[in-house]
Amino acid sequence: MYRIRARYTKTDMMKFISHLDLVRLMQRAFRRAEIPLVFSKGFNPHPKLTFATALSVGVSSEGEYLDVEIKDFIDLDHFKARVNQELPDGMRILQCKYLEQKSESIMAIIEYSSYLVHVKLEKEVPEKLITEHINHFLSQKEILAHKKPGKRNNEKEKEINIRTYINQLELFSHENNEVMLKMILATGSRGNLKPEVVIQALARQAQIPLDLEKSRIHRLELYTTENGKMMTPIS
Amino acid sequence: MNKSVLEELLYKVEKPSRYIGKEINSVSKNLDKIAVRFGFAFPDIYEVGMSHLGMHILYNLLNQQEDIYCERIFAPWTDMEEQLRSQHLPLFTLETHSAVKDLDFIGFTLQYELSYTNIINMLDMGQIPIRSKDRREADPFIIAGGPCAYNPEPLAEIADIFVIGEAEEVILEIVEAYKQWKLENKERSSFLERIVNIPGVYIPVFYQALYDKTGKLTEFLPIQEEYPKEITKRIIENLDEVYYPERVIVPFMDIVHDRAMVEVFRGCTRGCRFCQAGMIYRPLRERSIDKVKSIAHELIKSTGYEELSLASLSTSDYSELEVLVKHLIQQHGEEKVGISLPSLRLDSFSMELLEEIQKVRKTGLTFAPEAGTQRLRDVINKGVTEEDLLGTVEKAFSMGWSNIKLYFMIGLPTETYEDLDGIADLAHRVIDTYYKVPKEKRNKGLTVSISTSSFVPKAFTPFQWEAQNTVEDIKAKQNYLKNKLRHKNIKYSYHQAETSYMEGVFARGDRRVGQALIKAWEMGCKFDGWNDFFNYDLWMRAFEECGIDPNFYTARTREYDERLPWDHIQTGIRKQFLINESEKAKAGILTQDCRLNCTGCGINQGLIGGVC
Repeated sequence: MYRIRARYTKTDMMKFISHLDLVRLMQRAFRRAEIPLVFSKGFNPHPKLTFATALSVGVSSEGEYLDVEIKDFIDLDHFKARVNQELPDGMRILQCKYLEQKSESIMAIIEYSSYLVHVKLEKEVPEKLITEHINHFLSQKEILAHKKPGKRNNEKEKEINIRTYINQLELFSHENNEVMLKMILATGSRGNLKPEVVIQALARQAQIPLDLEKSRIHRLELYTTENGKMMTPIS
Repeated sequence: MNKSVLEELLYKVEKPSRYIGKEINSVSKNLDKIAVRFGFAFPDIYEVGMSHLGMHILYNLLNQQEDIYCERIFAPWTDMEEQLRSQHLPLFTLETHSAVKDLDFIGFTLQYELSYTNIINMLDMGQIPIRSKDRREADPFIIAGGPCAYNPEPLAEIADIFVIGEAEEVILEIVEAYKQWKLENKERSSFLERIVNIPGVYIPVFYQALYDKTGKLTEFLPIQEEYPKEITKRIIENLDEVYYPERVIVPFMDIVHDRAMVEVFRGCTRGCRFCQAGMIYRPLRERSIDKVKSIAHELIKSTGYEELSLASLSTSDYSELEVLVKHLIQQHGEEKVGISLPSLRLDSFSMELLEEIQKVRKTGLTFAPEAGTQRLRDVINKGVTEEDLLGTVEKAFSMGWSNIKLYFMIGLPTETYEDLDGIADLAHRVIDTYYKVPKEKRNKGLTVSISTSSFVPKAFTPFQWEAQNTVEDIKAKQNYLKNKLRHKNIKYSYHQAETSYMEGVFARGDRRVGQALIKAWEMGCKFDGWNDFFNYDLWMRAFEECGIDPNFYTARTREYDERLPWDHIQTGIRKQFLINESEKAKAGILTQDCRLNCTGCGINQGLIGGVC
C-alpha cells in the first residue's frame, strides 16, 4: 500500500462546487485516470481519500491538499499528468509526493491557512489609516466575534475570542477603493477561523468601511508546524 | 452573459453548481461554425433534469453533428429566478450561458404534467412569448416531446411543434428541414408547413377542435387537406444500430440518479393496465448483450461512475440479464462499480442475481405489488401473487436486508376498502415473515416503508375512460391506511391528493385546459410537482376564472365511443385492444405476458409489420 499527497487548485468556476461535490469529483477523476485505488470495506466501499480541510463555497484556492491510498507504486509524473487530464478547468494538481508509511494524514496535521481577501471599501480611506486600524485591531488581547453554530448537535451560536486564531493580518495592497488583506489563520481540528469572520470583526470594530457583500476570498496555502516553524504539508 | 455577471449571480444563490456548466463530458463548440443552435430544456431543476436518460441521449446525439450545437436549459431555482428577474437578465443555457432566445430551437421534454407551468415560466424568463401565435421570426421554435406529449392538447397553444415517440431520427429530420428553410428566408409558418408531413411531427396550430353543448369533443380536424389526419408515433427499429452515448456528462453536484445508465430494452410485455409507458413504448426491442456490454464498459471508463444502472421498464425481463450481470461484476467488481437494477420483479431469480450484485455494493430494495389484494392485482393485470412477495422478502431478510420498500397505488378502478385492508395485511405479513427468519440470519432494525401514490388514469391505457377518485376519496383512503399502518416497524408515506388530481386534469385534458394552465401561471403557480410550491386554491381559482370545470376531465366515466382529445395520435395500439383490456379488467381476467404469446394489441400490424 502506498500513499500519495497532492497539492491542487480549486479556482475559477470550481470555487462554486461544495466540499461534497469535490470529494465525488476527485473519486471519479481518479477512476477515469485509472489510478489503482484502495477501497474501504463494507456495504458501500469508497476509495481511501483524505482531504485536508473543507473550503467554503465561493472561496478559491491554490493550496488544497489530499492524500490518496493506492495499491501499486506508480510514477508521480504519470499520476499528476493522468489526473490533470481528467480534472475540469479550474482544478489542477500542482505537486505530489509519496508519504512515508507512518506519516499522519493530511487532515490531522493542518494548523494554519494563508488567505488573500479582496474587499471593496465603501468610501475612500488613506492607506496609513487602514494600517493603523489593523495594527490597533491586532493589539487587542481579546476580539470577540460570533461563531456560527455547527450544523450538527444543535450547537448554539456563541461568542469566542478570535484573536488567538489570528496569526497574521496585514494590508497587502490598496488601490481605487479596494483593499487586499493577507491573513494567516488557525485551521483544522485544534482551532479554526474563517476569513469571513475576521473581516466582519474588522469592519465592526476597526471602523474600516468594508463592503462585506463584495468580499472575495482566495486561499494561498495550508501549513503544518514542525518545531514551532510553519511548513507546507508537502515540503 | 459574460463571466463577471455570472459570477456575481452565483455568489447570491444557494447552490451555484447548478448553473456553472463545464462538467466532465459536457460539449463545447465554436459558435462561428454552428448552423443550428438547439436547447434541450428540462422543466425542472438541474438535479432532476440531469437524472433523465433521454436528455443525455439527445444531447449527445445532436452534438455528434458537427454543425449543430445542443446546450442544456433547466428551470432555475427560485433564488436564481429572483436574481435574474430583478436584474432583467434572461434565462441562459448552461454551456455558453447564452440567452435562450438566441437559439434556433428549444426542445422541452414532457415527463410530468405538473411541470407544465415551469415551461411557461422558463419561456417567460427567456423573454420568449409564451403562446405560439405571438412568436415572431427572431424567436426560437418551441418543440415538445416525451411521454406526456402523447396527449399534447393542454400545451397546444404553447408549443410550436410536438414530436410523438422516440426522437433520435425525427429530431435530425426536423433540423435538416430547418437548415433548408433558413436558406430560403421565408416566414415562420412556412417552416411548419415544411415539416408537417414528417411522421411523428404534430403541429397543433394546423388543427381545430370542435365541441358539443355538453363540452365533449366531437371533431378534431386538420385545417388543410394536406395535413395528416393522424400523427403516428416514431420508433427506433433496431437498438443496436441507433446512436447511444458512450460518454455522458458527470455532474458536479449530487443529482437524483447519479449513475451511468445503459438502456437494455424499450417497451414492456407485461401489459399492466394502469401503465402508460407499458402501452406507448411498445413494441419490445432489446439491445443485444454485446452492445450493452460495450456501452457499459465505455461509460464506466469515460465517467468514473461507481454505479451502473441497467435501465428499462422491467429490467428483470431482459433475456440475458443473468449473463450480463455476471459479466459486469466480473469486469468491474474489483473497481467496486455497483450494478443497480431498477424495477425489479418479485421472483427468486431476481433475488439470486441481487445476491451477486450486493457482493460489490449494496443497494436498496423496492418492490411494487401495486395493489393490496389478488383481486385488484388481477384487475390491473399485475401478475404477482402474495406468495411471490412473501417468498422474496423472506429471501431478502435472510440475505441481510432489513429495509424494504413497498409501492402501492390507491384509487385504482374497482378498489374497495377491502383492497386497502389488503395493503395493511400485506405489510403485517411482511413483518411476520421477518420474525420467522432465524435471528442469526437476519439484520436488526426492520423497517417496512409503505408508499402509496394515487392512481391517475392516463391516455392510451385500458383505464383511459375511467373516473379518477376525488381529492376527498383519496384523503379518506390515506387516513384509513394511516390508522391501519400504525406499527413501530412501518413507515407510511403518500402523495398529496391534490397534486394527483391536477395531474389527472392535464393527463386527459383537451385544448381548453391550456387556458387555465396559463392563468394559473399568471397567478403565480410554478414548481407544482414540489409540495412546498403547489397551491391548490390558486389552481382552483384559475379554473374558475377561465370557466373550466376540472371535474369534467377527472370525475367522468367516458363512453367507449366518446371522441378523446388524443385520438388523433396513433401509438400503434388498437383502440379495440384497450377496450378489450378494460372489459377484462372489470371481469378480473388476466392477460398474459405477450412474450409468451401475442395478445393482439396491434403494434405488429401497422407500425412495424410482422412479428414483434
